Amino acid sequence: MELLRLEGLTKRYDGFTLDNVSFALEEGYIMGFIGRNGAGKTTTLKTMLGLVHPDGGTVQMCGMDFQKNERACRQQIGVVFGEFDHYPKKKLSAITDVYRRFYEQWDDAEYRRCLERFELDESKTVEQLSSGMRVKYSLALALSHGARLLILDEPTSGLDPISRDELMELFQSIIEDGTRSILFSTHITSDLEKCADYITYLKDGRIVCSMEHGALLESWRMVKGGGKPDADIAKLLVGCRTNKFGFDALVRSDDAEAAAAAGLEVSPANLEDIMLHLEKD
Amino acid sequence: MKALIYKEFKLAAHPTCFIFLAFGAMLLIPNYPYYVAFFYTTLSLFFYFLNGRENRDILFTALLPVSKADMVKARCTVCAIFELLAVIIAVPFSFLNRALYGPCPLADCNVAFFGLTFVMFAIFNGLFIPRFYKTAYKLNFLVPCIVVFLFIGAAIALVFFPGIGAYLDATSPEGMIAQLPVLIVGLVIFILGMVLTCRRSVRNFEKVDL
Repeated sequence: MELLRLEGLTKRYDGFTLDNVSFALEEGYIMGFIGRNGAGKTTTLKTMLGLVHPDGGTVQMCGMDFQKNERACRQQIGVVFGEFDHYPKKKLSAITDVYRRFYEQWDDAEYRRCLERFELDESKTVEQLSSGMRVKYSLALALSHGARLLILDEPTSGLDPISRDELMELFQSIIEDGTRSILFSTHITSDLEKCADYITYLKDGRIVCSMEHGALLESWRMVKGGGKPDADIAKLLVGCRTNKFGFDALVRSDDAEAAAAAGLEVSPANLEDIMLHLEKD
Repeated sequence: MKALIYKEFKLAAHPTCFIFLAFGAMLLIPNYPYYVAFFYTTLSLFFYFLNGRENRDILFTALLPVSKADMVKARCTVCAIFELLAVIIAVPFSFLNRALYGPCPLADCNVAFFGLTFVMFAIFNGLFIPRFYKTAYKLNFLVPCIVVFLFIGAAIALVFFPGIGAYLDATSPEGMIAQLPVLIVGLVIFILGMVLTCRRSVRNFEKVDL
């Protein structure tokens, strides 16, 4: 079952347009939503959540039209914009006491389990938590009301590598039972290498691709060469970067043989390579 | 809606909203412009909105399973509750005032005074709340504050006008019973005003991109 489907989501601002954004996410998967700063990731998330008025497009969430069933949809999702930074002077217990009243499916036993698992102390205030713990608190809230779809905007930015790694493991365990999905936006592509099943790549408000992680990596190769590329080869290169020793670029997998025959060094591309070179193109 | 109102009291409301309720006791200050006691109520409401904004309450609430309209209605309801409580708490002090002191050279805290206080609250609400919901960020307290003080000046000046002055400033039981229409009209203006304020605020807030 699809937990999320965006069709032609559009939002126009002066100087920026989120243009016809479409992608879908099945249950039981993690989707990384990538793009450079200012590409429109947060705008996409805010528009699909109704926080920003769309100029066009539809959003299906948990099998329902979001605009017509906003409240019912929100009961089934958990949203985190960055780290939890609301009411920093309040104790977690006070915030949870308010939060739980809004959710029909609130499970106090599950909440206690999450607190224990994430080593969260309810008597602490929000500002006493580290960035990683704040993200975990948001996740604890979302999991305790039975959210099926977790939408996280840059949850790992500002975290140290160890906390990021822990969080990635946590994401994996959350979707393990196949009933939940996670959509998380990030510009830290190394996080996605560890856990994302799907990648949706946004550039200048437009979707470049939305596909299976492995298939995306398979569709590109990195090439390196000395000097300047020949004119015939240059046509195949995407996002060519030159330096005093030579050049590096992406090529489509179909063109990898031609690049190798021309004497270029061909190697697998990772997400960062793909993003860097596509942005340059 | 119940959960939203609970959230407003437990998280969003600034401590001054509760503390300034006790300012009804200012009615025990001799020869004082008693409307000022309720100006503090409006000041506490400004702190309430400020507190919500600084704690990113709007985004916290907008991500909960509630409508934008209900967010505004809950906030308006809580404002009305604080204003009503401020008046109710002040009433016993007005009795004490009359028992302790003679007539006030400024406006007396009688039945008409409470009626006009409700009008003052209606004016403040109408000027302050819908403007905030135009952006859900900018707070403009200066204009409502100036208008409230102009109203206070006008309400006090009224008691010096022949005829109407004697009616509004009466503190005898019969005189205050005669002032009941002012209280009722004031209360009606307060309630209707809050309904209109709330509707306009909802309309404004619906247009805002968060």
